[in-house]
Amino acid sequence: MSNLANGIHSAARGASDDAAVRERADPALVRADRVEQLYSQLPLGLVATVVIGVIAAVELHEGRLIGLLLVWAGLLGAVVALHGLLYRSYRQDARRAENAGQWLRWLGIGAFAAGAVWGFAAAVFFPSHADERQVFLAFLLAGVISGGIPMYAASWPIFAAYGAAIALPFTYVLATFGNRLFAEIALLIPLFYGASVAIAYRLSGVFLSGYRLRHAYQRSLVELDEARRQIQASGRKLALFAERSPIAVFELDGEGVLREVNQAAEILFGYAADELVGSSVKRLMLARHHADFDREWQHLMASRQPATGVKVRILRRDGLTVVCEWTVTPLVNAEGALISVIAQGHDVTAQLEAERMKKEFTSTLSHELRTPLTSIIGSLQLINAGVLGEVTKDVRDLTEVAERNSQRLLDLINDILDIEKIDSGKLTLNPEVLSVDDLVREAMVLNKGFGDRFKVRFESQGELLRREVNADRKRLLQVMTNLLSNAAKFSPEGEVVQISTEQHGAWLRVAVHDRGPGIPEAFRSRIFGRFTQADSTTSRHKGGTGLGLAICKRLIEMMQGRIGFQDRDGGGTTFWFELPAHA
Amino acid sequence: MPERALERICYVEDDEDIQRIVRMSLERVGKMTVEVVSDPNQAIGVMMRFKPDLVMLDWMMPGMDGPTLFRKMKQDPQTSALPVVFITAKATQRDMEELIALGAAGTISKPFSPKDLPDQLRAIWAKLPAG
Repeated sequence: MSNLANGIHSAARGASDDAAVRERADPALVRADRVEQLYSQLPLGLVATVVIGVIAAVELHEGRLIGLLLVWAGLLGAVVALHGLLYRSYRQDARRAENAGQWLRWLGIGAFAAGAVWGFAAAVFFPSHADERQVFLAFLLAGVISGGIPMYAASWPIFAAYGAAIALPFTYVLATFGNRLFAEIALLIPLFYGASVAIAYRLSGVFLSGYRLRHAYQRSLVELDEARRQIQASGRKLALFAERSPIAVFELDGEGVLREVNQAAEILFGYAADELVGSSVKRLMLARHHADFDREWQHLMASRQPATGVKVRILRRDGLTVVCEWTVTPLVNAEGALISVIAQGHDVTAQLEAERMKKEFTSTLSHELRTPLTSIIGSLQLINAGVLGEVTKDVRDLTEVAERNSQRLLDLINDILDIEKIDSGKLTLNPEVLSVDDLVREAMVLNKGFGDRFKVRFESQGELLRREVNADRKRLLQVMTNLLSNAAKFSPEGEVVQISTEQHGAWLRVAVHDRGPGIPEAFRSRIFGRFTQADSTTSRHKGGTGLGLAICKRLIEMMQGRIGFQDRDGGGTTFWFELPAHA
Repeated sequence: MPERALERICYVEDDEDIQRIVRMSLERVGKMTVEVVSDPNQAIGVMMRFKPDLVMLDWMMPGMDGPTLFRKMKQDPQTSALPVVFITAKATQRDMEELIALGAAGTISKPFSPKDLPDQLRAIWAKLPAG
């Protein structure tokens, strides 16, 4: 659209701005016009030449010069005839506009030749005649020079060549005649010639700018026409967008009165467009919301800024209400005046209901599921811990299965709750200054039981750094637990999972190195996604919800850190996270 | 740290299953003496009679929730000094902080491990001021 607007703008400005005219007029077209102008003068020029030539021949014929006069008349006739041929060829050339340069050169040669024939007349006849014939001849030569100005006005260099061919020999004969008066006239001829060339030059400029203007104007007309067609096409497209759109579209004026209503809005609200157009949009709202709407509308009119996510409860014609979410865009012209307001809305009633149900579900999950699980896991733990005395091996095997699976269920619930909390922005962190080495040791102790289950040991690799980070202790332990339990799960029995701490500039890195099978290529890009496990059978055999790493990533990012993994030399994977070192 | 070991616990909880598990955990694993109260409205009377070292309150109970009972205890001079630990499945971080600020000794979230519960309580007990 902006290109289009520029086009219109420059087309409108084009006629008044000289530089813009020069830029917009095609030079080849302008030259073709000039050549056409020059050739169109040719027939008149030839008639004038013949008439003047005949008069001159009659006036100048005298017995002793009859031979020279015949030569001169022959030359003049030849020049006229060649010009006639030139004119005819030009007219017959279908591509004369493209060949304008060529035709201009030929005309230049012709003009110079015509000038030279008149110059010949001056050189030959002026010295050999008496006074009154000389006056006639001088008058005649001045006439043919002056006559050349309108003839060749469209190209001043052609006139200059033509005039010079006459003026030079004439000046020469005057200067060498031996008469003081003639010598003085000889001084005036170049002045006269110069003035004539100057006039031709000015005229030539006038022609040039005229032609340029014409072409710039023509081009502007073409562009304006194109712009008009583009605007019409965009208009049709926009109308189609609004008409066929599945979302409700309103056009309103500055007072909130509906100007146009699309089909989706008719269907959504149960009114025909005719019923709505011309009435205030408030008609679609409950009376108790009118004051709120007025305030919001005033704000919109004052700011002229688009508003998104505006939720409005709409009263349908059948008396039901739906909540619609609107994007409201004030359309403002270049001068800042409001043209109209476009409002696009869709029904979010079902979505809001779904969100409410999700919240309710989350709450149920949190309390109603965790409370019975507390009893189940608690009971099983007490049995398995031997608090109630020894039980048979078979019973013990089964109560252990039950405890492990209850724990899995609980982990899943906790993970889902965590994800939900993170998504809804309800998870708040309690950052404190923590010592990295203490944290790693604590995580190793906490996860020892899990490691024992998979017959995997946790060991620190080298000296642990005694540096501090500013982080949420509980959540960081959760991340550590996730990484350590993953490493244990995927390590072969009897292996050692190593934990190292490193400093990288301003970052402290904690890395967990395992000797597992590595991360399959296809899985790498979505390893931190949700419900992802490389092998779906893993979760059944080893436990895990597929949410752990997604939660870790979010938690670490919330603590201004980053998390990643890399292949380990000699097989296995290293998972790491980095947090800014506490100053 | 109080001079004597943690022995007498009063637990206010409406869920009978959890009551039983906590009692078993504290009595058998922790070797403590436990008095369980099902009705929060009678809790203060029981506390006055039983004279516990520490009180455990469930957060969500029908009739009166844990925080309300806690505030009532604070108003009664005979119970206001008792250390209180909340057991909760749902409280937000902010709820917990608020209770700690009001003077709760600690919080334990559900589900808890009955194996570890006595140690958790003793850890909270150890952090209390002497006297």
